[in-house]
Amino acid sequence: MNAKTRRLTVEIFRFNPQDPDATPGTECYEIDESPYMTLYIVLTRIREEMDASLQFDFSCRSAICGSCGMLVNGRPMLACRTLTASLPQHIRLYPLPVFELVGDLSVDTGRWFRNMVQQVEGWIHERAPFDPDAQEERMSDDESLAIYESDRCIECGCCVASCGVANLKPGFAGPAGLNRMARFMMDPRDARDDEAWFDVVSNEDGVFGCIGMMACHDVCPKELPLLEVYAYLRRKTLAAGFR
Amino acid sequence: MKSRSLHTTDVLVIGGGLAGERCAMEAAAEGLEVTILSLVPPRRSHSCAAQGGMQAALGNCVKGEGDNPDWHFLDTVRGSDWGADQEVARMFVDEAPRAVRELAHFGVPWTRVRPGNNDYFVKGEPVVIREAEENAGLLMHRDFGGTAKWRTCYASAGTGHAILYAIDSEVIRLGIDVWDRCEALALIHENGRCWGAIARSLRTGELTAVLANATVIATGGYGRIYGKYTTNATINYGSGAAIAFETGVVPLGNMEAVQFHPTGLWPSGILVTEGCRGDGGHLLNRELERFMVQREPEKQELASRDVVSRHMMDQIQNGNGAESGYGPHLWLDLRHLGAEHLHQKLREVVDICRDFAGIDPAQSMIPVRPTQHYSMGGIRVNKDGQAYGMAGLFAAGEAACWDMHGFNRLGGNSLAETIVAGRLVGRSVAAFARREKLDTGTALARRFLDACEADIAAWLARTGDGPRIYAIQSRMAEIMINKVGIFRNGPDLEQAVSELQDCLHDCGHAVLHSKGPGMNPELSDALRLQGMIRLAITIASGALARTESRGAHFRRDFPLRDDRHWLKRTLARWPADTTSPRLSYEPVGLIDLPPGHRGYGKAEWIELGKSLEEYNQSVGTLQDAEGRLASEEPQGSRMSWGAWKSVATTTGTSK
Amino acid sequence: MVKQSEPPQARQQLVYELVSGLSGIALAIFMWGHMILVGSILTGERGFNWLAGTLEDLYIAQPTVIGVIALFLAHAVFASRKIPAQLRERRQLRDLAKGLGQSGKGWPNVAGAPAFSPHVESMLWIWQVRTGMVIVVLGSFHLVLMGLDVFTPLFGERIGIEAATTLERVRGGLWPLYAILLLCVEFHASVGLYRFAIKWGAGARLKRSVLHRIEQLLFWAILVFGVITLAVLAGWLEPPLAFLLGDNT
Ligand SMILES: Cc1cc2nc3c(=O)[nH]c(=O)nc-3n(C[C@H](O)[C@H](O)[C@H](O)COP(=O)(O)OP(=O)(O)OC[C@H]3O[C@@H](n4cnc5c(N)ncnc54)[C@H](O)[C@@H]3O)c2cc1C
Ligand code: HEM
Ligand code: HEM
Ligand code: SF4
Ligand code: F3S
Ligand code: FES
Repeated sequence: MNAKTRRLTVEIFRFNPQDPDATPGTECYEIDESPYMTLYIVLTRIREEMDASLQFDFSCRSAICGSCGMLVNGRPMLACRTLTASLPQHIRLYPLPVFELVGDLSVDTGRWFRNMVQQVEGWIHERAPFDPDAQEERMSDDESLAIYESDRCIECGCCVASCGVANLKPGFAGPAGLNRMARFMMDPRDARDDEAWFDVVSNEDGVFGCIGMMACHDVCPKELPLLEVYAYLRRKTLAAGFR
Repeated sequence: MKSRSLHTTDVLVIGGGLAGERCAMEAAAEGLEVTILSLVPPRRSHSCAAQGGMQAALGNCVKGEGDNPDWHFLDTVRGSDWGADQEVARMFVDEAPRAVRELAHFGVPWTRVRPGNNDYFVKGEPVVIREAEENAGLLMHRDFGGTAKWRTCYASAGTGHAILYAIDSEVIRLGIDVWDRCEALALIHENGRCWGAIARSLRTGELTAVLANATVIATGGYGRIYGKYTTNATINYGSGAAIAFETGVVPLGNMEAVQFHPTGLWPSGILVTEGCRGDGGHLLNRELERFMVQREPEKQELASRDVVSRHMMDQIQNGNGAESGYGPHLWLDLRHLGAEHLHQKLREVVDICRDFAGIDPAQSMIPVRPTQHYSMGGIRVNKDGQAYGMAGLFAAGEAACWDMHGFNRLGGNSLAETIVAGRLVGRSVAAFARREKLDTGTALARRFLDACEADIAAWLARTGDGPRIYAIQSRMAEIMINKVGIFRNGPDLEQAVSELQDCLHDCGHAVLHSKGPGMNPELSDALRLQGMIRLAITIASGALARTESRGAHFRRDFPLRDDRHWLKRTLARWPADTTSPRLSYEPVGLIDLPPGHRGYGKAEWIELGKSLEEYNQSVGTLQDAEGRLASEEPQGSRMSWGAWKSVATTTGTSK
Repeated sequence: MVKQSEPPQARQQLVYELVSGLSGIALAIFMWGHMILVGSILTGERGFNWLAGTLEDLYIAQPTVIGVIALFLAHAVFASRKIPAQLRERRQLRDLAKGLGQSGKGWPNVAGAPAFSPHVESMLWIWQVRTGMVIVVLGSFHLVLMGLDVFTPLFGERIGIEAATTLERVRGGLWPLYAILLLCVEFHASVGLYRFAIKWGAGARLKRSVLHRIEQLLFWAILVFGVITLAVLAGWLEPPLAFLLGDNT
C-alpha cells in the first residue's frame, strides 16, 4: 500500500442538458491516489475540491443500491466499489449508454427500470387476498433460495448498458428484464401460468431478443447467472409453445 | 423556461423507503390519490442496505420455540433502556407477525425452515440444530443481539433489498405516482395545519408546490451529519426531520439517542457484520494489542455493541489508533479464522473487504472504526403517527420518533418498524385524508414557493471568498464524531454546541462555486446544510442537557441511568431566528414493564422513586401539554397490561 | 397483463427462433459431413469420384443438394432478422463491444473465477454477422455451381460432381473464394454452435470456458482439415492419403 502514490488523471464526460449553451465533451482532473481509494472517493473529492458542478449518483456507496453504474474505461461497473488501485493511471468515466442522460455521469436508470417492471408486471399476481390472521403459506427453502438468487438484481443497469441489443432496440426487455420475468415465473405464489408468460417471454422484446452476446453476464456486479436465466426462459417457452 | 408549478394530491408521502412506500400503499388501497417524493428511485433508498433481518415473534424454529409478542415486547423495552413508549412497543410487537407474513404474500423470498439437521457457527463453535418436520417451509429465524429467542426473519443476506423490491413492486402495481429525484425543501403550513410541501426536482431544479390533504414524512435517518463516519447512505441527510423542525412548532424527540456500530470499514464506513466477532475475530489497536481482553475480561470482543464501541473510541482518542491517511482507526483481525472459514461463513465480509479495501481478510487485518448507524430520534408523533403540534402531518420509519426504540434500537426492529408503522400509520393517514377537506388557497403555496426561490436566489447571489459548503460539512462531521459520538461529557458537548453554532453562522456566508442551471449538485447540498447543522446542534444540546447515561447515550460524567430525573423524552423545537433549539420534556409514555436491569450492561441505576401509578397518571396531560394531538383511540387502549409477566418469570432475563 | 403480442404471434416467434437455430445447426452438421466428403480428395481423384458417384447413384446427393439449398435460404432469412438493419447501428454495436474489452486487467477478477475476457462474445457475434454476410454471397455462388454440377452437364461430359471439374475450377482461380468461404463458414458454424449451446442452457452442465474451448477446438480442427483439402484441390499438395487406395499419381 505504501508504494509511491500515483497521480491519477480522471477524464470525465461532461454535459448538462439543462444548460442551453452546453456541448458534450470531456474534462480531465488530476488527483493523488490514496489507500483504499474508490471512484466514489475520487468523484466526491473532485466535486468538493475542484468542480462543484459535477453530476453523478451515489447512494449506498456499498454496492447494494445500484445507483452508481457508469462506464469505467469503457466497461459498465459500479463506481462505488471500484478501487482506483485496480485501474490504470488514466481513468475514463462516461455515463451508461441506453439510459436517458440526466447530466455528466448521472443517468436515469430509475425510470427505465420502473417501465421495465410495468412491462413485465413485475409483482406477485396474488392467488387469493392476504389473510392477516393465517399462518404464512409454506414454501421450500430451496425454492426460496432460487427466487432470492434472481431477486438479488440491484437494477444498476450495467447489464443493459453492455448489451448490444438493449442499446439498439428500446423495446427489448433487456437482461435485467428477462431476469425479472424468470424471477416471477419461478415463484409459486404468482398466479400467472406458463401460458400467460408465453406471450410476454416468447418474442423479440422478450427472450428471443437476446442474441447471446453474453456481455450482460460478464459485467453484472452481483454476478447473477443471467445466461442460465435465459436458458430457463427459452426452455419454458419451448414447453409452453408445444404443449 | 417554466420553473415552478402546482400539483394537488390527497396524500403526499415524502420518502420512498420502506416506511414511506408501505404507508402510501395503505392510502392508495383506500382509493386515495397518493404522490411519493424521493431523492432517488425508491429502490435505491437506504432500506435496501439492511442485510440482517426483521423481527417478528413467530417462533417457527427450535431456538425460537415458545416465542410470542410478549417476549418481543420485553426485549424491545429492555433494549430501549426504558426510553420507549410502551404502548407503541406493544402495538408494534402485536402487528409484526402480520407485517412479515404480508411481505411473504408480496413475494419476499424469506429463508424457510429446513427440516432436519442444520449447521451453524455460534461464538466460534460449530453447532448442529435439528428442525422439526412439522415446521418445514415456515419462515426461519436467526439470532440477533438482545433477544431472548431466535426471532429475526431474513431473506439470505439481503433482507432489506428483498423487502424493498417487493414493496416497491406493489407501489407500481397500485399505480402510485412516484416522483423520484425530487426533494422536499419545505412544508407548506399555516396555523398548525400542514398542506403539503415544496418539491425541487433533482433533474432540472424546477420547483413544484405539492398541495396535499395529508403529508407523511418518511425520510429515514440523518447519518450524513456524521459525514463519512456513518454506515448510512450518502442520501441520509435527515432533511425530512429538518423541514419539520423548520416549522418551529413540530418537535423532534430524543435526538441525542444515536446508535453506533463498532465495526464500520475504514474509511468507507461500510458495515462489517457483527458475525465476525461472533465467529472469533479480534480487535487490535496500533500496537496490535487486544485491548478488549484487558478492558472486558469477561466477554472481550463479544460485549454489547455500545460497550465495544466505547472502548474502541477510547483507544482512538488516547492515540492508540493506527493511521491510514484518513484519520485513525483500529484493526479487526480475522486471519486466524482461516481462509476456508471466511469464504464459507463470512462471504459478504470477504467481498466487502475485497471491493472496498482491496484486501483479503485471510491475509490482512481489516481497518475498522465505530461508526454512526441508526437514529432513534426523529419527528415526535403520537401513536397514530400524527406529528405533535401540526395537524395533517405524519411521520413514520427512521425519520419518526414513534418511539418504540427509546435509547437503543434492537437489530431487526427497525425494518419491522418501517412495515408495521407503514401499515398502522398509513391507515390513520387514510382516515385523516378522507375525513378532512383539502381547503387552502394557492396563495399559501405561492408564499412558500417564493420563500424557497428567495433562498435559492440568495445562495446563488452570494459571492466573495466565503467558506465552501463542503468545508463546513466536514467540520460538522468532525465535531459530531469527536465530541457528540459514543462517549460524551459536559465540556466536550458544550464546546460542540458552540462550534456547531459557528458552523451555522458560516453557513450564512458560504459561497457556491457552481452556479450553472439545472439541479446544480452544490446548490442542492447547500440547501440541505442549514437543516443538517440544526439537527447536529439539537443532538449535541439534547445530549448536554441529559445528565445521565441511557442506552446509546453515554455520559462519562454521569454513567448511571437515572430514572428519577430522566425517565422522560427530550423534545426539541427550533423557534424562528434562533441559533439553538428549545428543549422540553415529556414522560416516555404509559409504563407497563417497570424499569429494571436490562439483562446486560450495567446492573446499577437510579430508581424512579415513585410508583408506576403515579407516573402513569400524569402522562396524558403532560404529553397533551407538549402538543400531542388526540389519537383515534384513547391513550393506553392498546396496552396489554401485565402480559409480559407470563414470560418474564420463565427465565428472568434475556440470555 | 400488457400483451406485447397475441398468442399466435408468440408461437410464431418461437417457431422463427427454432427455424433459425435448428437450420443453423443442421447446416453446421452438414458442413462437417461436407468437409469429409470434399476431403475424400485427400485420397486422390479416384476416391473422390467414387464417393461422389456413389452418392449420386444412390440418389443421396441430389435431394441433399435441394435440402441444403432450402436450409441455407431458411437460415439466411430467419437468422438475418437479428442483424441490425442500419450501418449506424452496427457501428454502435462494434464500438460498444470494443469499449467493453478495453478494461484490460482493470476489471476486478470476480470471486477468483478465471478472468474471461468480457468483450469476446460481443465481438464474436459481430463477426458472426459479418461472416454470415460473406457466406450469403460466396455460399450462394458455390451452391449454384453445385446445383449445375449435379443436375446439368454444363461442366464436364456427364451430370454429377467430378474431381476433374472440381480441380479445374479451383485451380482455375476460384481458390481464393473457397479459402475465404472456408474460413467464414468454419468460424460462423463453431461460434454459432457455441452460442446455441449457451442460449439453450448447456452452460448449466459445462462451464462456459469449457464450451468456449470446445468451440475453438472445433474451429481449428476443421479449418486445418479444410485448408489441407483446399491445398490438394488447388494442386499445391499431393493427395497425402493416396496410398490408402494404392494410387500413386
Ligand atoms: C448498513 C445498515 C444495515 C441495517 N441493517 C438492518 C437490519 O438488519 N435490520 C433492521 O431492522 N434494520 C437495519 N438497518 C436500519 C434500517 O435499514 C433503516 O432504519 C430503515 O430501512 C429505514 O427505512 P425508512 O423507510 O425509514 O428510510 P429510508 O429507507 O432511508 O428511506 C428514506 C427515503 O426518503 C427519501 N428522502 C429523504 N429525504 C428526502 C427529501 N427531503 N425529499 C424527498 N425524499 C426524501 C429518500 O430518497 C428515501 O427514499 C440497517 C441500517 C443500515 C445503515
Ligand atoms: C446464408 C448465410 C448466413 C447468414 C446470413 C447467417 C447469419 C447468421 C446469424 C445472423 C446468426 C445469429 C442468429 C442469432 O443470434 O439468433 C446465425 C446463427 C447461426 N448460424 Fe448462420 N448464417 C449463414 C449461414 C450459416 C451456415 C452456412 C451455417 C452452418 C455452417 C450457419 C450456422 C449457424 C449456426 C449454428 C448459428 C447459431 C444459431 C443460434 O444461435 O440460434 N449459418 N447465422
Ligand atoms: C449443396 C450441397 C453442396 C455440395 C454438393 C458441395 C460440394 C462441394 C464440392 C464438390 C467442393 C469442391 C470444390 C468444387 O467442386 O467447387 C466444395 C467445396 C467447398 N464447399 Fe461445398 N458443397 C455444398 C454446399 C456447401 C455449402 C452450403 C457451403 C457453405 C456455405 C459450402 C462450402 C464449401 C467450402 C468452404 C468449400 C471449400 C472446402 C475446402 O477447400 O476445404 N459448400 N463443396
Ligand atoms: S442483472 Fe446485474 S447488471 Fe443487470 S441490473 Fe441487475 S444487478 Fe445490475
Ligand atoms: S448482452 Fe444482450 S444479447 Fe443476450 S446474452 Fe446478454 S442479453
Ligand atoms: S452507490 Fe449504491 S451501488 Fe454504488
